[in-house]
Amino acid sequence: MERQERPPILLQLLLWLVALLQIFPLVWLVNFSFLKSGEFFGSEILKWPKTFEFANYVNAFTYGSVPKYLVNSFMITAVTIVVAAVFSLMMGYAFTRMEWKLRGLALGLVMLGMIVPIHATLLPNFTLFNNIGLLDHPLSLMLPYIAFSLPISTLIMTGFLETVPRSIEESAVMDGCGVFGLLTRIIFPITKPAIATICIMNFISWWNEFIMANTFLTSDRFKTLPFSIMKFAGQYSSNYGAQFAVMTMIALPTLIIYLLFTEQMARGITAGAVKG
Amino acid sequence: MHKLMSNRWTITWLVAPGLTLFLFMVCFPILMSVYYGTTNWTGLGEYQSVGFANYQKVLFDDPIFWRSLWNALLLLLATLLLQHPVAILFAILITRAGRLEKTFRTIFFIPAVISIVVTSKMWVSVFHPSYGVLNKVLEQLGLASLKQDWLGDPSVAIWSLIFVIMWQGFGYALLLYYAGLQGIPKDLYEAAELDGAGKVTLYTRVVVPLLSPMIRVAVIIAVTTCLKQMETVFLMTNGGPGSTTQFLGNYLYKTAFSSSLYGYGNAISVIFVIICLIITVIMNRALKKDVGQF
Repeated sequence: MERQERPPILLQLLLWLVALLQIFPLVWLVNFSFLKSGEFFGSEILKWPKTFEFANYVNAFTYGSVPKYLVNSFMITAVTIVVAAVFSLMMGYAFTRMEWKLRGLALGLVMLGMIVPIHATLLPNFTLFNNIGLLDHPLSLMLPYIAFSLPISTLIMTGFLETVPRSIEESAVMDGCGVFGLLTRIIFPITKPAIATICIMNFISWWNEFIMANTFLTSDRFKTLPFSIMKFAGQYSSNYGAQFAVMTMIALPTLIIYLLFTEQMARGITAGAVKG
Repeated sequence: MHKLMSNRWTITWLVAPGLTLFLFMVCFPILMSVYYGTTNWTGLGEYQSVGFANYQKVLFDDPIFWRSLWNALLLLLATLLLQHPVAILFAILITRAGRLEKTFRTIFFIPAVISIVVTSKMWVSVFHPSYGVLNKVLEQLGLASLKQDWLGDPSVAIWSLIFVIMWQGFGYALLLYYAGLQGIPKDLYEAAELDGAGKVTLYTRVVVPLLSPMIRVAVIIAVTTCLKQMETVFLMTNGGPGSTTQFLGNYLYKTAFSSSLYGYGNAISVIFVIICLIITVIMNRALKKDVGQF
Protein backbone atom coordinates (compact mmCIF):
# COMPACT_ATOMS: atom_id res chain seq x y z
CA MET A 1 0.00 0.00 0.00
CA GLU A 2 2.95 2.34 0.60
CA ARG A 3 3.81 2.72 -3.06
CA GLN A 4 1.47 5.32 -4.52
CA GLU A 5 -0.12 3.87 -7.59
CA ARG A 6 -1.00 6.16 -10.46
CA PRO A 7 -4.73 6.87 -10.29
CA PRO A 8 -6.80 5.61 -13.23
CA ILE A 9 -7.13 8.19 -15.98
CA LEU A 10 -10.92 8.17 -15.86
CA LEU A 11 -10.92 8.99 -12.16
CA GLN A 12 -8.47 11.82 -12.74
CA LEU A 13 -10.62 13.25 -15.51
CA LEU A 14 -13.76 13.09 -13.39
CA LEU A 15 -12.08 14.79 -10.44
CA TRP A 16 -10.59 17.52 -12.62
CA LEU A 17 -13.96 18.12 -14.27
CA VAL A 18 -15.83 18.51 -10.99
CA ALA A 19 -13.04 20.56 -9.43
CA LEU A 20 -13.14 22.95 -12.38
CA LEU A 21 -16.93 23.19 -12.22
CA GLN A 22 -16.63 23.93 -8.52
CA ILE A 23 -14.29 26.88 -9.00
CA PHE A 24 -15.60 27.94 -12.41
CA PRO A 25 -17.65 30.90 -11.10
CA LEU A 26 -14.48 32.21 -9.47
CA VAL A 27 -12.53 31.84 -12.69
CA TRP A 28 -15.29 33.72 -14.49
CA LEU A 29 -15.16 36.43 -11.82
CA VAL A 30 -11.41 36.95 -12.22
CA ASN A 31 -11.65 36.81 -16.00
CA PHE A 32 -14.39 39.42 -16.27
CA SER A 33 -12.68 41.68 -13.75
CA PHE A 34 -10.24 42.47 -16.57
CA LEU A 35 -12.94 43.40 -19.10
CA LYS A 36 -14.50 46.73 -19.94
CA SER A 37 -18.04 46.98 -18.55
CA GLY A 38 -19.39 47.16 -22.11
CA GLU A 39 -17.84 43.78 -22.92
CA PHE A 40 -19.92 42.03 -20.25
CA PHE A 41 -22.89 41.60 -22.54
CA GLY A 42 -21.21 39.53 -25.26
CA SER A 43 -22.21 35.90 -25.68
CA GLU A 44 -18.81 34.45 -24.74
CA ILE A 45 -18.57 32.47 -21.54
CA LEU A 46 -14.93 33.26 -20.89
CA LYS A 47 -13.16 35.94 -22.85
CA TRP A 48 -9.49 36.82 -23.27
CA PRO A 49 -9.45 40.60 -22.75
CA LYS A 50 -8.32 42.68 -25.75
CA THR A 51 -6.51 44.91 -23.31
CA PHE A 52 -6.35 44.12 -19.63
CA GLU A 53 -8.47 46.72 -17.87
CA PHE A 54 -6.30 47.42 -14.86
CA ALA A 55 -8.33 50.60 -14.55
CA ASN A 56 -11.02 48.41 -12.98
CA TYR A 57 -8.71 47.67 -10.08
CA VAL A 58 -7.76 51.31 -9.73
CA ASN A 59 -11.45 52.27 -9.69
CA ALA A 60 -12.26 49.52 -7.24
CA PHE A 61 -9.54 50.82 -4.97
CA THR A 62 -10.78 54.39 -5.02
CA TYR A 63 -14.59 54.10 -5.27
CA GLY A 64 -14.63 51.09 -2.98
CA SER A 65 -12.48 52.81 -0.30
CA VAL A 66 -10.42 49.63 -0.25
CA PRO A 67 -7.34 50.96 1.62
CA LYS A 68 -9.37 52.44 4.46
CA TYR A 69 -11.64 49.42 4.86
CA LEU A 70 -8.66 47.11 4.63
CA VAL A 71 -7.01 48.82 7.60
CA ASN A 72 -10.29 48.62 9.58
CA SER A 73 -10.75 44.95 8.78
CA PHE A 74 -7.17 44.21 9.67
CA MET A 75 -7.33 46.03 12.99
CA ILE A 76 -10.66 44.54 14.07
CA THR A 77 -9.73 41.00 13.03
CA ALA A 78 -6.27 41.19 14.60
CA VAL A 79 -7.57 42.29 18.00
CA THR A 80 -10.32 39.67 17.85
CA ILE A 81 -8.09 36.71 17.08
CA VAL A 82 -5.40 37.64 19.58
CA VAL A 83 -7.83 38.18 22.45
CA ALA A 84 -9.87 35.10 21.52
CA ALA A 85 -6.71 32.98 21.51
CA VAL A 86 -5.56 34.29 24.91
CA PHE A 87 -9.00 33.83 26.49
CA SER A 88 -9.46 30.36 25.10
CA LEU A 89 -5.99 29.35 26.33
CA MET A 90 -6.85 30.60 29.82
CA MET A 91 -10.28 29.00 29.84
CA GLY A 92 -9.04 25.81 28.27
CA TYR A 93 -6.44 25.54 31.01
CA ALA A 94 -8.96 26.18 33.75
CA PHE A 95 -11.35 23.61 32.25
CA THR A 96 -8.77 20.82 31.89
CA ARG A 97 -6.36 21.34 34.79
CA MET A 98 -7.96 23.33 37.55
CA GLU A 99 -10.26 21.73 40.07
CA TRP A 100 -13.44 23.65 40.78
CA LYS A 101 -17.05 22.86 41.45
CA LEU A 102 -18.72 24.94 38.74
CA ARG A 103 -16.43 23.64 35.99
CA GLY A 104 -19.02 21.44 34.29
CA LEU A 105 -21.66 24.13 34.42
CA ALA A 106 -19.38 26.83 33.02
CA LEU A 107 -18.12 24.59 30.23
CA GLY A 108 -21.67 23.61 29.31
CA LEU A 109 -22.69 27.25 29.23
CA VAL A 110 -19.88 28.19 26.86
CA MET A 111 -20.65 25.22 24.62
CA LEU A 112 -24.25 26.45 24.43
CA GLY A 113 -22.79 29.31 22.41
CA MET A 114 -22.29 26.94 19.49
CA ILE A 115 -26.03 26.38 19.31
CA VAL A 116 -27.14 30.00 19.66
CA PRO A 117 -27.39 31.61 16.22
CA ILE A 118 -25.48 34.89 16.00
CA HIS A 119 -28.48 36.38 14.23
CA ALA A 120 -30.57 36.05 17.36
CA THR A 121 -28.23 38.48 19.13
CA LEU A 122 -28.35 41.13 16.40
CA LEU A 123 -31.45 42.96 17.61
CA PRO A 124 -30.76 43.02 21.37
CA ASN A 125 -27.08 43.83 20.85
CA PHE A 126 -28.08 46.71 18.60
CA THR A 127 -30.16 48.16 21.45
CA LEU A 128 -27.47 47.33 24.00
CA PHE A 129 -24.73 49.07 22.02
CA ASN A 130 -27.03 51.97 21.35
CA ASN A 131 -27.66 52.40 25.08
CA ILE A 132 -24.03 52.20 26.15
CA GLY A 133 -22.81 54.37 23.26
CA LEU A 134 -20.85 51.67 21.46
CA LEU A 135 -22.80 51.76 18.24
CA ASP A 136 -20.56 52.59 15.29
CA HIS A 137 -17.46 51.80 17.36
CA PRO A 138 -14.93 49.04 16.57
CA LEU A 139 -15.66 47.47 19.96
CA SER A 140 -19.23 46.79 18.82
CA LEU A 141 -17.72 44.23 16.46
CA MET A 142 -14.73 43.04 18.49
CA LEU A 143 -16.76 42.14 21.59
CA PRO A 144 -19.31 39.87 19.90
CA TYR A 145 -16.67 38.47 17.55
CA ILE A 146 -14.51 37.42 20.50
CA ALA A 147 -17.52 36.11 22.42
CA PHE A 148 -18.69 33.97 19.51
CA SER A 149 -15.15 32.70 18.90
CA LEU A 150 -14.87 31.35 22.42
CA PRO A 151 -17.00 28.17 22.24
CA ILE A 152 -15.20 26.55 19.31
CA SER A 153 -11.78 27.93 20.31
CA THR A 154 -12.12 26.69 23.88
CA LEU A 155 -13.29 23.34 22.58
CA ILE A 156 -10.23 22.95 20.38
CA MET A 157 -7.99 24.08 23.22
CA THR A 158 -9.44 21.69 25.83
CA GLY A 159 -9.25 18.86 23.31
CA PHE A 160 -5.59 19.61 22.70
CA LEU A 161 -4.70 20.12 26.37
CA GLU A 162 -6.20 16.77 27.30
CA THR A 163 -3.59 15.09 25.12
CA VAL A 164 -0.71 16.96 26.81
CA PRO A 165 0.86 14.95 29.65
CA ARG A 166 0.81 16.72 33.00
CA SER A 167 4.23 15.55 34.12
CA ILE A 168 6.04 18.59 32.70
CA GLU A 169 3.78 20.96 34.59
CA GLU A 170 4.15 18.92 37.77
CA SER A 171 7.92 19.15 37.70
CA ALA A 172 7.73 22.89 36.95
CA VAL A 173 5.48 23.35 39.96
CA MET A 174 8.05 21.46 42.05
CA ASP A 175 10.58 24.06 40.92
CA GLY A 176 8.30 26.79 42.25
CA CYS A 177 6.51 27.84 39.09
CA GLY A 178 3.07 29.47 39.49
CA VAL A 179 0.06 29.15 37.20
CA PHE A 180 0.97 32.30 35.29
CA GLY A 181 4.48 30.95 34.69
CA LEU A 182 3.04 27.58 33.66
CA LEU A 183 0.81 29.23 31.09
CA THR A 184 3.38 31.55 29.56
CA ARG A 185 6.48 29.35 29.71
CA ILE A 186 5.16 25.81 29.32
CA ILE A 187 1.57 25.65 28.10
CA PHE A 188 1.80 28.40 25.50
CA PRO A 189 4.78 26.88 23.64
CA ILE A 190 3.24 23.39 23.78
CA THR A 191 -0.17 24.50 22.51
CA LYS A 192 1.19 26.53 19.61
CA PRO A 193 -0.32 24.19 16.97
CA ALA A 194 -3.76 24.47 18.58
CA ILE A 195 -3.39 28.25 18.85
CA ALA A 196 -2.43 28.46 15.18
CA THR A 197 -5.53 26.48 14.23
CA ILE A 198 -7.76 28.66 16.40
CA CYS A 199 -6.30 31.87 14.95
CA ILE A 200 -6.68 30.76 11.35
CA MET A 201 -10.26 29.61 11.83
CA ASN A 202 -11.20 32.82 13.60
CA PHE A 203 -9.45 34.84 10.93
CA ILE A 204 -11.49 33.24 8.17
CA SER A 205 -14.80 33.65 9.96
CA TRP A 206 -14.37 37.22 11.18
CA TRP A 207 -12.48 38.66 8.26
CA ASN A 208 -15.46 37.63 6.16
CA GLU A 209 -18.15 38.64 8.66
CA PHE A 210 -20.78 40.94 7.25
CA ILE A 211 -24.12 40.88 9.06
CA MET A 212 -22.95 42.27 12.39
CA ALA A 213 -20.76 44.84 10.69
CA ASN A 214 -23.73 45.88 8.58
CA THR A 215 -25.90 46.21 11.68
CA PHE A 216 -23.60 47.85 14.21
CA LEU A 217 -21.60 50.20 12.01
CA THR A 218 -23.64 53.14 10.85
CA SER A 219 -21.06 55.57 9.50
CA ASP A 220 -18.26 55.09 7.01
CA ARG A 221 -15.46 55.46 9.54
CA PHE A 222 -14.96 51.90 10.79
CA LYS A 223 -16.49 49.89 7.97
CA THR A 224 -14.76 46.66 7.01
CA LEU A 225 -13.69 45.26 3.68
CA PRO A 226 -16.95 43.56 2.59
CA PHE A 227 -18.51 47.02 2.42
CA SER A 228 -16.32 47.84 -0.56
CA ILE A 229 -18.58 45.57 -2.58
CA MET A 230 -21.71 47.16 -1.19
CA LYS A 231 -20.49 50.55 -2.37
CA PHE A 232 -21.01 49.32 -5.90
CA ALA A 233 -24.64 48.47 -5.21
CA GLY A 234 -25.76 52.07 -5.57
CA GLN A 235 -23.88 54.85 -7.24
CA TYR A 236 -21.45 52.78 -9.30
CA SER A 237 -23.71 49.80 -9.94
CA SER A 238 -23.24 49.91 -13.71
CA ASN A 239 -19.45 49.79 -13.41
CA TYR A 240 -19.41 45.99 -13.65
CA GLY A 241 -15.68 45.76 -14.31
CA ALA A 242 -14.74 47.57 -11.11
CA GLN A 243 -17.35 45.60 -9.21
CA PHE A 244 -15.78 42.33 -10.30
CA ALA A 245 -12.33 43.70 -9.55
CA VAL A 246 -13.28 44.61 -5.99
CA MET A 247 -14.75 41.14 -5.42
CA THR A 248 -11.55 39.55 -6.67
CA MET A 249 -9.44 41.71 -4.40
CA ILE A 250 -11.51 40.86 -1.34
CA ALA A 251 -11.42 37.15 -2.07
CA LEU A 252 -7.63 37.15 -2.41
CA PRO A 253 -6.38 37.61 1.19
CA THR A 254 -8.46 34.72 2.57
CA LEU A 255 -7.54 32.55 -0.37
CA ILE A 256 -3.84 33.17 0.20
CA ILE A 257 -4.08 32.52 3.94
CA TYR A 258 -5.98 29.34 3.19
CA LEU A 259 -3.44 28.12 0.65
CA LEU A 260 -0.62 28.84 3.10
CA PHE A 261 -2.28 27.10 6.05
CA THR A 262 -4.44 24.43 4.40
CA GLU A 263 -3.38 21.71 6.84
CA GLN A 264 -3.99 23.70 10.03
CA MET A 265 -7.42 24.70 8.79
CA ALA A 266 -8.40 21.20 7.84
CA ARG A 267 -7.26 19.99 11.25
CA GLY A 268 -9.16 22.74 13.06
CA ILE A 269 -12.40 22.15 11.24
CA THR A 270 -12.41 18.42 11.72
CA ALA A 271 -11.23 18.65 15.35
CA GLY A 272 -13.95 21.18 16.14
CA ALA A 273 -16.60 19.09 14.45
CA VAL A 274 -15.72 15.76 16.00
CA LYS A 275 -15.44 17.04 19.56
CA GLY A 276 -18.64 19.05 19.24
CA MET B 1 -0.08 20.61 42.97
CA HIS B 2 -3.65 20.11 44.14
CA LYS B 3 -3.47 23.26 46.22
CA LEU B 4 -2.20 25.28 43.30
CA MET B 5 -4.81 23.85 40.94
CA SER B 6 -7.77 24.57 43.20
CA ASN B 7 -6.82 28.12 44.09
CA ARG B 8 -10.04 30.08 43.68
CA TRP B 9 -8.39 33.33 42.86
CA THR B 10 -6.37 31.76 40.04
CA ILE B 11 -9.46 30.08 38.63
CA THR B 12 -11.30 33.38 38.71
CA TRP B 13 -8.71 35.30 36.72
CA LEU B 14 -8.41 32.49 34.21
CA VAL B 15 -12.11 32.11 33.55
CA ALA B 16 -13.68 35.45 34.38
CA PRO B 17 -12.61 37.58 31.39
CA GLY B 18 -13.81 35.13 28.76
CA LEU B 19 -16.87 33.98 30.60
CA THR B 20 -18.00 37.52 31.45
CA LEU B 21 -17.64 38.62 27.86
CA PHE B 22 -19.50 35.54 26.69
CA LEU B 23 -22.38 36.06 29.12
CA PHE B 24 -22.53 39.74 28.29
CA MET B 25 -22.52 39.28 24.50
CA VAL B 26 -24.40 36.01 24.03
CA CYS B 27 -26.58 35.14 27.03
CA PHE B 28 -27.59 38.57 28.27
CA PRO B 29 -28.83 39.73 24.81
CA ILE B 30 -31.12 36.71 24.61
CA LEU B 31 -32.69 37.70 27.92
CA MET B 32 -33.09 41.22 26.54
CA SER B 33 -34.84 39.71 23.53
CA VAL B 34 -37.21 37.78 25.76
CA TYR B 35 -38.17 41.07 27.38
CA TYR B 36 -38.46 43.17 24.19
CA GLY B 37 -40.44 40.34 22.65
CA THR B 38 -43.23 41.14 25.08
CA THR B 39 -43.45 44.77 23.93
CA ASN B 40 -44.74 46.61 20.89
CA TRP B 41 -41.58 48.74 20.57
CA THR B 42 -40.86 50.03 17.08
CA GLY B 43 -37.23 50.73 17.90
CA LEU B 44 -37.82 54.39 18.70
CA GLY B 45 -39.76 56.20 21.40
CA GLU B 46 -42.30 54.85 23.85
CA TYR B 47 -43.58 51.32 24.04
CA GLN B 48 -46.06 49.21 26.00
CA SER B 49 -46.07 45.66 27.19
CA VAL B 50 -48.26 43.37 25.12
CA GLY B 51 -47.68 40.20 27.13
CA PHE B 52 -47.15 37.10 25.04
CA ALA B 53 -49.17 38.38 22.09
CA ASN B 54 -46.07 38.60 19.86
CA TYR B 55 -44.98 35.06 20.65
CA GLN B 56 -48.49 33.79 20.03
CA LYS B 57 -48.67 35.57 16.71
CA VAL B 58 -45.31 34.19 15.56
CA LEU B 59 -46.32 30.63 16.30
CA PHE B 60 -49.96 30.59 15.29
CA ASP B 61 -50.57 33.41 12.88
CA ASP B 62 -47.48 34.12 10.83
CA PRO B 63 -47.23 32.35 7.48
CA ILE B 64 -43.80 33.92 6.77
CA PHE B 65 -42.38 32.40 9.94
CA TRP B 66 -43.52 28.95 8.86
CA ARG B 67 -42.37 29.62 5.32
CA SER B 68 -38.92 30.40 6.71
CA LEU B 69 -38.84 27.13 8.61
CA TRP B 70 -40.10 25.29 5.55
CA ASN B 71 -37.28 26.79 3.47
CA ALA B 72 -34.75 25.67 6.09
CA LEU B 73 -36.24 22.19 5.79
CA LEU B 74 -35.99 22.25 1.98
CA LEU B 75 -32.39 23.32 2.28
CA LEU B 76 -31.73 20.56 4.79
CA LEU B 77 -33.30 17.91 2.57
CA ALA B 78 -31.28 19.07 -0.42
CA THR B 79 -28.13 19.07 1.70
CA LEU B 80 -28.70 15.59 3.11
CA LEU B 81 -29.98 13.93 -0.06
CA LEU B 82 -27.69 15.58 -2.60
CA GLN B 83 -24.72 17.33 -1.08
CA HIS B 84 -23.74 14.71 1.47
CA PRO B 85 -23.91 11.60 -0.73
CA VAL B 86 -21.91 13.42 -3.40
CA ALA B 87 -19.46 14.60 -0.74
CA ILE B 88 -18.99 11.04 0.54
CA LEU B 89 -18.45 9.78 -3.01
CA PHE B 90 -15.87 12.44 -3.77
CA ALA B 91 -14.14 12.02 -0.41
CA ILE B 92 -13.65 8.37 -1.38
CA LEU B 93 -12.54 9.24 -4.91
CA ILE B 94 -10.04 11.76 -3.58
CA THR B 95 -8.39 9.19 -1.33
CA ARG B 96 -7.73 7.16 -4.47
CA ALA B 97 -6.26 10.10 -6.40
CA GLY B 98 -2.69 9.35 -5.33
CA ARG B 99 -0.37 12.30 -5.55
CA LEU B 100 -3.23 14.63 -6.54
CA GLU B 101 -5.07 13.90 -3.30
CA LYS B 102 -4.02 17.11 -1.61
CA THR B 103 -4.56 19.27 -4.70
CA PHE B 104 -8.17 18.19 -5.07
CA ARG B 105 -8.90 18.51 -1.38
CA THR B 106 -7.59 22.06 -1.52
CA ILE B 107 -9.55 23.04 -4.63
CA PHE B 108 -12.86 21.65 -3.39
CA PHE B 109 -12.62 23.66 -0.21
CA ILE B 110 -11.82 27.01 -1.85
CA PRO B 111 -15.43 28.28 -2.09
CA ALA B 112 -15.85 27.71 1.65
CA VAL B 113 -13.10 30.17 2.60
CA ILE B 114 -14.17 33.02 0.36
CA SER B 115 -16.24 35.77 1.92
CA ILE B 116 -19.98 35.17 1.63
CA VAL B 117 -20.34 38.75 0.47
CA VAL B 118 -18.11 37.95 -2.51
CA THR B 119 -19.70 34.61 -3.34
CA SER B 120 -23.25 35.93 -2.95
CA LYS B 121 -22.68 38.95 -5.16
CA MET B 122 -20.77 36.75 -7.59
CA TRP B 123 -23.71 34.35 -7.89
CA VAL B 124 -26.11 37.23 -8.31
CA SER B 125 -23.98 38.09 -11.36
CA VAL B 126 -23.86 34.48 -12.54
CA PHE B 127 -27.67 34.36 -12.40
CA HIS B 128 -28.06 37.83 -13.93
CA PRO B 129 -30.61 37.65 -16.77
CA SER B 130 -28.64 39.82 -19.21
CA TYR B 131 -24.91 39.33 -18.57
CA GLY B 132 -24.97 36.31 -16.24
CA VAL B 133 -22.78 33.41 -17.31
CA LEU B 134 -25.39 30.76 -16.54
CA ASN B 135 -27.83 31.87 -19.23
CA LYS B 136 -24.92 32.23 -21.67
CA VAL B 137 -23.77 28.68 -20.98
CA LEU B 138 -27.30 27.36 -21.52
CA GLU B 139 -27.50 29.20 -24.81
CA GLN B 140 -24.16 27.80 -26.00
CA LEU B 141 -25.31 24.31 -25.10
CA GLY B 142 -28.45 24.78 -27.18
CA LEU B 143 -30.63 24.82 -24.10
CA ALA B 144 -31.87 28.36 -24.57
CA SER B 145 -35.37 27.29 -23.51
CA LEU B 146 -34.04 26.74 -19.98
CA LYS B 147 -32.89 30.34 -19.69
CA GLN B 148 -34.66 32.24 -16.96
CA ASP B 149 -34.61 34.91 -14.32
CA TRP B 150 -33.03 32.63 -11.74
CA LEU B 151 -33.55 34.88 -8.73
CA GLY B 152 -36.63 36.78 -9.91
CA ASP B 153 -38.98 33.89 -10.50
CA PRO B 154 -40.74 32.97 -7.22
CA SER B 155 -40.81 29.25 -7.98
CA VAL B 156 -37.15 29.07 -9.06
CA ALA B 157 -35.46 31.52 -6.67
CA ILE B 158 -35.44 29.23 -3.64
CA TRP B 159 -33.72 26.47 -5.64
CA SER B 160 -31.13 28.88 -7.01
CA LEU B 161 -30.43 29.96 -3.47
CA ILE B 162 -30.24 26.39 -2.17
CA PHE B 163 -27.84 25.56 -4.97
CA VAL B 164 -25.50 28.41 -4.02
CA ILE B 165 -25.54 27.47 -0.34
CA MET B 166 -24.78 23.84 -1.20
CA TRP B 167 -22.02 24.92 -3.55
CA GLN B 168 -20.32 26.91 -0.82
CA GLY B 169 -20.77 24.21 1.82
CA PHE B 170 -19.68 21.30 -0.35
CA GLY B 171 -15.99 21.56 0.55
CA TYR B 172 -16.86 21.55 4.21
CA ALA B 173 -18.90 18.35 4.01
CA LEU B 174 -16.20 16.79 1.85
CA LEU B 175 -13.50 17.66 4.36
CA LEU B 176 -15.46 16.09 7.23
CA TYR B 177 -15.96 12.83 5.36
CA TYR B 178 -12.38 12.86 4.16
CA ALA B 179 -11.23 13.16 7.77
CA GLY B 180 -13.58 10.32 8.66
CA LEU B 181 -12.01 8.14 5.98
CA GLN B 182 -8.55 8.86 7.36
CA GLY B 183 -9.69 7.41 10.68
CA ILE B 184 -10.47 4.02 9.15
CA PRO B 185 -7.47 1.72 9.59
CA LYS B 186 -5.75 0.77 6.32
CA ASP B 187 -5.58 -2.96 7.15
CA LEU B 188 -9.39 -3.10 7.07
CA TYR B 189 -9.28 -2.40 3.34
CA GLU B 190 -6.71 -5.15 2.87
CA ALA B 191 -8.67 -7.59 4.99
CA ALA B 192 -11.81 -6.92 2.96
CA GLU B 193 -9.88 -7.40 -0.28
CA LEU B 194 -8.44 -10.68 0.98
CA ASP B 195 -11.97 -11.80 1.76
CA GLY B 196 -12.73 -11.22 -1.89
CA ALA B 197 -14.79 -8.05 -1.60
CA GLY B 198 -14.96 -6.03 -4.81
CA LYS B 199 -14.41 -2.26 -4.78
CA VAL B 200 -18.13 -1.45 -4.67
CA THR B 201 -18.86 -3.96 -1.91
CA LEU B 202 -15.82 -2.73 -0.03
CA TYR B 203 -17.17 0.81 0.04
CA THR B 204 -20.89 0.16 0.47
CA ARG B 205 -20.59 -2.65 3.01
CA VAL B 206 -17.43 -1.77 4.91
CA VAL B 207 -16.31 1.83 4.51
CA VAL B 208 -19.60 3.75 4.54
CA PRO B 209 -20.91 1.92 7.64
CA LEU B 210 -17.62 2.72 9.37
CA LEU B 211 -18.12 6.36 8.42
CA SER B 212 -21.36 6.49 10.40
CA PRO B 213 -19.91 8.37 13.39
CA MET B 214 -18.75 11.08 11.00
CA ILE B 215 -22.05 11.01 9.11
CA ARG B 216 -23.77 11.60 12.42
CA VAL B 217 -21.58 14.62 13.17
CA ALA B 218 -22.02 16.00 9.65
CA VAL B 219 -25.81 15.62 9.85
CA ILE B 220 -25.96 17.51 13.16
CA ILE B 221 -23.83 20.29 11.69
CA ALA B 222 -25.98 20.38 8.54
CA VAL B 223 -29.20 20.75 10.54
CA THR B 224 -27.91 23.70 12.53
CA THR B 225 -26.28 25.46 9.59
CA CYS B 226 -29.43 25.11 7.48
CA LEU B 227 -31.50 26.59 10.26
CA LYS B 228 -29.01 29.42 10.81
CA GLN B 229 -28.75 30.32 7.16
CA MET B 230 -28.84 34.07 6.70
CA GLU B 231 -25.98 35.90 4.96
CA THR B 232 -26.47 34.37 1.53
CA VAL B 233 -30.19 35.06 1.67
CA PHE B 234 -29.68 38.61 2.89
CA LEU B 235 -27.23 39.41 0.13
CA MET B 236 -28.83 37.56 -2.77
CA THR B 237 -32.60 37.88 -2.44
CA ASN B 238 -33.34 39.42 0.96
CA GLY B 239 -36.12 36.86 1.22
CA GLY B 240 -37.77 37.83 -2.04
CA PRO B 241 -39.48 37.65 -4.44
CA GLY B 242 -42.35 37.97 -1.96
CA SER B 243 -41.26 35.87 0.98
CA THR B 244 -40.47 32.78 -1.06
CA THR B 245 -36.80 32.62 -0.07
CA GLN B 246 -37.16 33.83 3.51
CA PHE B 247 -35.11 32.28 6.33
CA LEU B 248 -35.53 32.92 10.05
CA GLY B 249 -32.39 35.01 10.56
CA ASN B 250 -33.18 37.26 7.65
CA TYR B 251 -36.86 37.46 8.56
CA LEU B 252 -36.27 38.70 12.09
CA TYR B 253 -33.76 41.22 10.78
CA LYS B 254 -36.13 42.53 8.16
CA THR B 255 -39.03 42.66 10.63
CA ALA B 256 -37.05 44.72 13.13
CA PHE B 257 -35.13 47.05 10.84
CA SER B 258 -37.22 47.41 7.68
CA SER B 259 -40.72 46.98 9.06
CA SER B 260 -39.87 48.71 12.38
CA LEU B 261 -41.50 45.93 14.36
CA TYR B 262 -38.63 45.69 16.82
CA GLY B 263 -40.62 43.97 19.55
CA TYR B 264 -42.03 41.42 17.16
CA GLY B 265 -38.57 40.80 15.67
CA ASN B 266 -37.25 40.00 19.13
CA ALA B 267 -40.07 37.51 19.66
CA ILE B 268 -39.01 35.73 16.45
CA SER B 269 -35.43 35.87 17.70
CA VAL B 270 -36.29 34.13 20.96
CA ILE B 271 -38.33 31.44 19.25
CA PHE B 272 -35.42 30.98 16.84
CA VAL B 273 -33.02 30.29 19.73
CA ILE B 274 -35.50 27.89 21.33
CA ILE B 275 -35.94 25.98 18.07
CA CYS B 276 -32.16 25.67 17.71
CA LEU B 277 -31.85 24.38 21.29
CA ILE B 278 -34.68 21.87 20.94
CA ILE B 279 -33.43 20.54 17.63
CA THR B 280 -29.88 20.18 18.91
CA VAL B 281 -31.05 18.24 21.94
CA ILE B 282 -33.28 15.98 19.84
CA MET B 283 -30.53 15.37 17.30
CA ASN B 284 -28.00 14.48 19.96
CA ARG B 285 -30.44 12.06 21.60
CA ALA B 286 -31.59 10.48 18.37
CA LEU B 287 -28.15 10.03 16.88
CA LYS B 288 -26.28 8.96 19.99
CA LYS B 289 -26.53 5.23 19.29
CA ASP B 290 -24.83 2.98 16.73
CA VAL B 291 -21.25 4.16 17.03
CA GLY B 292 -19.11 2.03 14.74
CA GLN B 293 -16.56 -0.24 16.38
CA PHE B 294 -13.26 -1.22 14.89
